[in-house]
Amino acid sequence: MTTQNSPVIYAKAIQYQLADIVSPIPVYNLFNRNFTKTQTKFITWQLRNVHQPVYTGQTQSNKGIDRPVFQISVFAQKDIDALNISNTILQSLHGYSGMFGNPADDGFFIAKADVYWLYNTYDNELGLSQIILDCTLDIPA
Amino acid sequence: MALINKVLPGYVATLWCQSGSNPTALTDTQLETWTGQVADIIGTTAGGTGTDGIQVPVESIPAFGADDASATYAVAGARTGAKITTQNQVTSLTITSAWNPADTAQLLIRDDGYNGTTIRTFVIATYDGTDTVAYAFNARVGGLQWDMSPSAEGKFTFVLHPVGGNSYGWSNNS
Repeated sequence: MTTQNSPVIYAKAIQYQLADIVSPIPVYNLFNRNFTKTQTKFITWQLRNVHQPVYTGQTQSNKGIDRPVFQISVFAQKDIDALNISNTILQSLHGYSGMFGNPADDGFFIAKADVYWLYNTYDNELGLSQIILDCTLDIPA
Repeated sequence: MALINKVLPGYVATLWCQSGSNPTALTDTQLETWTGQVADIIGTTAGGTGTDGIQVPVESIPAFGADDASATYAVAGARTGAKITTQNQVTSLTITSAWNPADTAQLLIRDDGYNGTTIRTFVIATYDGTDTVAYAFNARVGGLQWDMSPSAEGKFTFVLHPVGGNSYGWSNNS
């Protein structure tokens, strides 16, 4: 008896939550090279794998829970800044359970946020250190 | 309407059960009677009328039918022994579903398992969008388990043990 949640709500909640965690560092959806001209450090995110498992039969509501993933990219001119920001996100989000997003604007309950710190890298053209993290959300619907 | 004459994907199978906490299970004859009996348990989404039944939201339908059995014996002086096929009981079904504490059918099955003696008619319906083939049987519920692993969604597993005798039947809407 589950309905598919809207990716719009997920996007709003991710934007709000990340901005809340790393404030005042700016948070953007998707990368734009113009950011590098004005920001010494910033964060972008991408949502993927929005999917509830589908179970047998013609009844559309016979589905499982949604476990979407969003990828966080931390950008900073100094390597240490990127590492520190990634740690702030880890400490705040990894294992978190509760309200996700703005409670007054389509925020929702998550049973668990699971953060996977993937790797760090450096972009020579942009002159920015990057750290990539994945975060999986368990969302009862 | 014609009987379904195409190969069906497993996805088209659904599980239905009689509603109500004190069901009157169908008789052997009624289990193979579509109109007014089996059709009433199957919902409209699978070609039934749905007046007396509800869908059980399960992940997938396990193999169903009858268990295999034979009587084997040795024949003195012959090259081999021999077997005689015997009709064994109807197969028990171990079923997994996503646990939803607000789902009417799951609560009904939980109560049946708790009660232990309730006999209810269950129907597996396969539906090609027009026609339905139904396999109906009477069963008690056993083996209730909840698996709340933190790395996935909570699962509710139960076993349908068919009662003995001839308590199963095939029917279709044609």
